[in-house]
Amino acid sequence: MTLIDNLKQYAETSHLSKESQELFGEFISKGFPTIKDEEWKYTSLKKIISESYTLHYSANKNTFKDFEKYFLGFKNKIVFLDGKLVSSSNIKGVTISDYTSFKNLSNHSSLDFLNASLSKNGFTISVDENIQIEEPIEILFLNTTENIFSQYRNCISIGKNSNVKFIEQNKNVSDLNSLSNNFTQINCAENSNVEFNKIQNDTARSKLIDTLNVYQKSDSVCTVNTVIFGGLFIRNNLNFEQNGQNAESNMNGITLLTKNQFVDNHTFVDHKNANCRSNELYKGIYLDKSKGVFNGKIMVRKDSQKIDAFQANNSLLLNNDASINSKPQLEIYADDVKCSHGCTIGQLDSESLFYLRSRGVSLEEAKGLLTFAFASEAIQNISIAELRSLVQKTMSNKLNVDIEL
Amino acid sequence: MLKIENLNANVESTPILKGIDLTVNAGEIHAIMGPNGSGKSTLSSVIAGKEDYEVIDGLMTFEGKDLSELDPEERANAGIFLSFQYPVEIPGISVANFIKTSVNAKRKSLGKDPVSASELLKLMREKMSLLGIKEGYISRNMNEGFSGGEKKRNEIFQMAMLSPKLAILDETDSGLDIDALRIVANGVNKLRNKDNATIVITHYQRLLEYIIPDYVHVLYDGKIIKSGDKSLALELEEKGYDWIVKDTK
Repeated sequence: MTLIDNLKQYAETSHLSKESQELFGEFISKGFPTIKDEEWKYTSLKKIISESYTLHYSANKNTFKDFEKYFLGFKNKIVFLDGKLVSSSNIKGVTISDYTSFKNLSNHSSLDFLNASLSKNGFTISVDENIQIEEPIEILFLNTTENIFSQYRNCISIGKNSNVKFIEQNKNVSDLNSLSNNFTQINCAENSNVEFNKIQNDTARSKLIDTLNVYQKSDSVCTVNTVIFGGLFIRNNLNFEQNGQNAESNMNGITLLTKNQFVDNHTFVDHKNANCRSNELYKGIYLDKSKGVFNGKIMVRKDSQKIDAFQANNSLLLNNDASINSKPQLEIYADDVKCSHGCTIGQLDSESLFYLRSRGVSLEEAKGLLTFAFASEAIQNISIAELRSLVQKTMSNKLNVDIEL
Repeated sequence: MLKIENLNANVESTPILKGIDLTVNAGEIHAIMGPNGSGKSTLSSVIAGKEDYEVIDGLMTFEGKDLSELDPEERANAGIFLSFQYPVEIPGISVANFIKTSVNAKRKSLGKDPVSASELLKLMREKMSLLGIKEGYISRNMNEGFSGGEKKRNEIFQMAMLSPKLAILDETDSGLDIDALRIVANGVNKLRNKDNATIVITHYQRLLEYIIPDYVHVLYDGKIIKSGDKSLALELEEKGYDWIVKDTK
């Protein structure tokens, strides 16, 4: 059996609502994306979907306390174990509940239909107006089931003038085969400020497709930081829609891949209103035979004047077998805007390496240091100090250098 | 300390150094002068171990050790320091972190534990005041946006922190105004002692008014064509290089 057979069988035996049946029908008629699809040109799902998966979590006696080592240690936590919401903190002004059905607001890809039709797991978070939460909210999706195909479907609504930070992680508790197709929607009300951090550092056989749609009202600021260390396969779809003036969308990406790991970062900012900003900085480091894809689309609509949009994608290829396909895509229909983009692909600078070595630093450590230096600009944009140090520590482990900055 | 015999080196199969002999003992200051393109910077890079240069003949030893066997970092940890003519900008690494990394690399090679943060800061402050460097400077990114003079001062700061046995100052005077030149030269002089040695590579006699050499060598077309004492530098300033070149021919 292949995944599509698993899905059909699951849909037939699951007593889906009429609406879910229709959504599933949409998915089936579109099918999984293939490399003929422009948005999937360099990213093939063929091998991944030719495998057979289970859509049922296995029963287990574990409690989330057995997995404390996966927590980053913040007081505010939301924990899922095999699809079930097993723990959530009481936070003043924040309502956290289990899965609630909601409709996609835009961009219906076949994978969005698949998620919308069959997902039964996820969270709904709503933050009241005028709430300032200093301590980040940690969200953890734990999985113990071999060969699982999972789909979380999450909705976050931030009230006016509220300020909140999240850190999200997917974790297999051991070296399991897994495929996730997750969908998250964030609604940012007027003058809210949201930082959403995604730490993608899962086990060697994990595969993740993640879609995050952000809808911003006027004067809101939303920053999404995506830190990518693996799994085997990751496809990120990050979409911002600015539905009010003076909104700001920030995206930072830090990628460090080794072996045969793969990541595809697709980002899209839709400047639908005037006087808005977007800043995008993606830094990628590729070792061994790892591969990256970057596609950053910026759309400035006809009447969206005075837009200030910046995009940069810098990649470091540290091995001849590593590769990156990078594509900036600017569509600008307004005439009074400031949009700039830059894309670089390169190796470590030999003059800088010699400079460090001439100061007694070993070649390996010099490479590590310069690699750190390369990523540091994006890392500095993460506002949570504990997270910055975690990212640096994970980087030095993965690069196999002993660096403390 | 440093002994160079018949050194021949190529860059992309073009001969640059064509038989250099040079002996530098502890406590000595040697000046190497010469016109553009004579091989001065190549010589300093070859001593420091830059891999772009191919040593095709000759012998270089440092305290009896064959340098050809050593990587650049091993040469540095053995006590060789090169002050770069064009120091490299490294965005993302602060001066403080860069210095901490190099100080600890040296300590590691000596089997010592890393230096404590407070000890390092104390040492940095001491050397900064010696070189007239302001406090905020060490948290700036390594050489990023530095003026020519700031970059050179940063090189001497690193030298002061690493206390090498042999310092090679490659055109340290270029880009320095007269006040900065005095401060840097004063710093170099204060770091001098009977156990270390300095090679000063320069175009002009000016720096040698502040750092008084024991020996002056003229490098021309990859060879040392004349050596003398400090008076040779004055003579060069007055008469240029042509007379020596003619004499040699």
